[in-house]
Amino acid sequence: MAKDVFTFMVGGKAGEGVKKAGNAAANLFASRGFSVFQYDDYQSLIRGGHNFSVVSASARPLSSHYMHADLVVNIDARSYELHRSHVADGGILVRNSDLVKDGDGVGIPMTSLAKECEHPALITGVGSFVMLCAALGMNWADTAKVVESEYRRELQDNIAYAEAIHELAWPSFGGKFKLENGGKVRPMLYGNEAIALGAAAGGLDIYVAYPMTPASSILHYLASHSEDLGIAVMHPENEIAVANMAIGAASAGARTMVGSSGGGFALMEEAISLAGMTETPLLLVLSSRPGPSTGVPTYSAQGDLNFALGQGHGDFPKIVASPSSASEAFRLTAEMLDLAWKFQVPAILLTEKHLAESRMSVDIDTDKTAWAEGMSHGKGEYKRYLDTPEGISPLMFPPSAELIKWNSYEHDEKGITSDAPETIVRMHDKRARKASSLENHLKGLNTVNVFGTGKRSIFAYGSTVMSVIEAVKSGGLDAKIVQPIYLDPLPLEELSKHAADAAIVVEQSSTGQFARLLRERAGIKVSKVIAKYDGRPFEPAELAAQLKGAL
Amino acid sequence: MPDELTTYCENTWCPGCGNFGLFNSVKKAIKQLGGKGVARSDLFMCAGIGCHGKIFDYLAVSGFYALHGRSMALAQGVKLANPSLKVFTFCGDGDAYGEGLEHMLFAAKRNAGITVIVHNNGVYGLTVGQFTPVSKRGFKGPSSPRGNVEEPLNPLALMLEAGATFVARGYSGKPDHLADIFARAMMHEGFAYVDVLQPCVSFNDTYKLYNEKVEIVSGPPKTREEALALVKRGGKIPIGVFWEEKREPYHRALMGERNPVLNRQPRGERISKVKQLLEG
Repeated sequence: MAKDVFTFMVGGKAGEGVKKAGNAAANLFASRGFSVFQYDDYQSLIRGGHNFSVVSASARPLSSHYMHADLVVNIDARSYELHRSHVADGGILVRNSDLVKDGDGVGIPMTSLAKECEHPALITGVGSFVMLCAALGMNWADTAKVVESEYRRELQDNIAYAEAIHELAWPSFGGKFKLENGGKVRPMLYGNEAIALGAAAGGLDIYVAYPMTPASSILHYLASHSEDLGIAVMHPENEIAVANMAIGAASAGARTMVGSSGGGFALMEEAISLAGMTETPLLLVLSSRPGPSTGVPTYSAQGDLNFALGQGHGDFPKIVASPSSASEAFRLTAEMLDLAWKFQVPAILLTEKHLAESRMSVDIDTDKTAWAEGMSHGKGEYKRYLDTPEGISPLMFPPSAELIKWNSYEHDEKGITSDAPETIVRMHDKRARKASSLENHLKGLNTVNVFGTGKRSIFAYGSTVMSVIEAVKSGGLDAKIVQPIYLDPLPLEELSKHAADAAIVVEQSSTGQFARLLRERAGIKVSKVIAKYDGRPFEPAELAAQLKGAL
Repeated sequence: MPDELTTYCENTWCPGCGNFGLFNSVKKAIKQLGGKGVARSDLFMCAGIGCHGKIFDYLAVSGFYALHGRSMALAQGVKLANPSLKVFTFCGDGDAYGEGLEHMLFAAKRNAGITVIVHNNGVYGLTVGQFTPVSKRGFKGPSSPRGNVEEPLNPLALMLEAGATFVARGYSGKPDHLADIFARAMMHEGFAYVDVLQPCVSFNDTYKLYNEKVEIVSGPPKTREEALALVKRGGKIPIGVFWEEKREPYHRALMGERNPVLNRQPRGERISKVKQLLEG
């Protein structure tokens, strides 16, 4: 692969195996030691519509897909219309000649070749993967091997169809690109898998969730690995039950996590205040999609930043942090579970569809992962809300001869309800000291990432950082990227190091929520906000052009 | 009376409140459980918000004073985390049948291993007298000055239909009978539900009515249908155990004999499992 980045794109209807073809392509690149990024664009439907998958691969670390592809395979006519312009210079465009008789690029009769098969629609995805193998110069024997390992169901049909496609594709573009070997072979994870596995590595005991895109695949992943990981997974009646059950489970000593998207998360908000008052450790995943309300379920946005930061009624400490890659999601999820337990606070892991449901190469050191531990009560009389200098009261769990009382009302040290003015003040001050202890503790952790050494600062957080890194690289821009991982408490001291010059902010919010946070809380001078709010992630080449203008 | 099951918290229920009888019955039941090998330390109580919930502050048992309507969900989380605990929750009738009805239906449906005790006084006492989901049509309160225009729910019928495996009703004016019901409910392995007729002396004084109409039924009916007929009948108000059956509780159906808190995977084992999944 002489190119810096090689990109494969496949488009078709839902049910035509588009995502699976993307998966297979990503696995192929990953197995050769390339850094891979897979973006799946799909609609909220089960059959029909338009889906596409983009897989970019590079011998250097890659953090985004590109929309200009070296091979574009269009299974249906709509894909052809939408993606014919996405072919990179010197790239290959393939149309399904059964559906688009005359047109640009190479015509392959993908539908009529599939007629003999049991599932003619589903199998077309296999064909697009075989075309990628051909373009990369893989002979039939090697191609058959990877098809066999990727498409095990109805193998005979798949192999027959694959061979027919291979024979038609080879004369047109066989070996047009050469697939050399990359570096170290790394695993690939969806962001949600990274969150699930990070939580598991951090000591998770219970996951409770009600399905909602784009958080659902955390639930699916943990449910499917519930037995081997020893994690109980529950899907109850609604998100209100989810959050309250999770708090109950934590009060019995279980490391517990919940996950949802905007609307479902809104239903959990009362319980977040409950966790704040009762000082219950709880990790919550807020996986954003474009809102408000039901919004655009299967796309990406960063419109929930203020929602995450403003969670809960009443004054209480909490944590909000957002990862910028699957590797970081793994590490951060474990770290936040630990922080939730150390400081007995609700912690919100804020992410977006673009990280949650994109798949990418990861570098993960499981041995360096945090393991959630809280401070335990030793001997003697137990007071659930013991007033300590750090504000942290030791934990104790049933069964115990000592009384353990968690209370949603304001309470005394023993956890008995109180409305005495001195008790109210004392407990507020105790929780506030806990917030200070948390802020001090964070000074010892990596709270801000800085990528690059350029002069001008570009601020971004969450999944947007992936696109910005790639834009700066591919555009050869003289800039550094500053990413606060923690958003509450906001690492003001660290951020102040980058406050000298006017900064550019890149975010996926139509009202510039992140820019406002930086201006109002961190004193960052923002000269330009590059906002995108069409549900689609930033595309590196496009973003590079915008950044060039702004710099 | 201060005793080892009562905390130092000042009791602020109205003099004559039905909650006193209920409180005494709970303490009596806990003592009965002690005789059956269930220590006080194995108990975990939850409570919702309302006059009923004050029992959390008065009863010297570990637990969680939850949100209005949500104690049944929270209690299920406790049970899931450590199924060896005996988890029970106190609810009000507004709490259980209004704000938190969905949790109650689903707890019954999935046969969650918790006991739900509803202090049913037919009125929102703590918020000074509004109608609840079980108040009679025509009930006058500050939110229904011309009389409530809705028909009341029959929560016992609802619970029987939803699949509850233990359904009972008691009366705070018959504390010994009530204590026996509580003890039986807490020893029941699946979802146990006890509706407690509990007069509110300030906003809905039903002592006279209940003393005249309450009637203890002997054994539970043979079938769920008979139980339904019993809880739907007019005239005398039956109290006692209306339904009891054995069915696998939710936590066991979900995870067998595993106990998430007591059988935590050590870090080394967990990390090696995660590594295996990472490396595919």
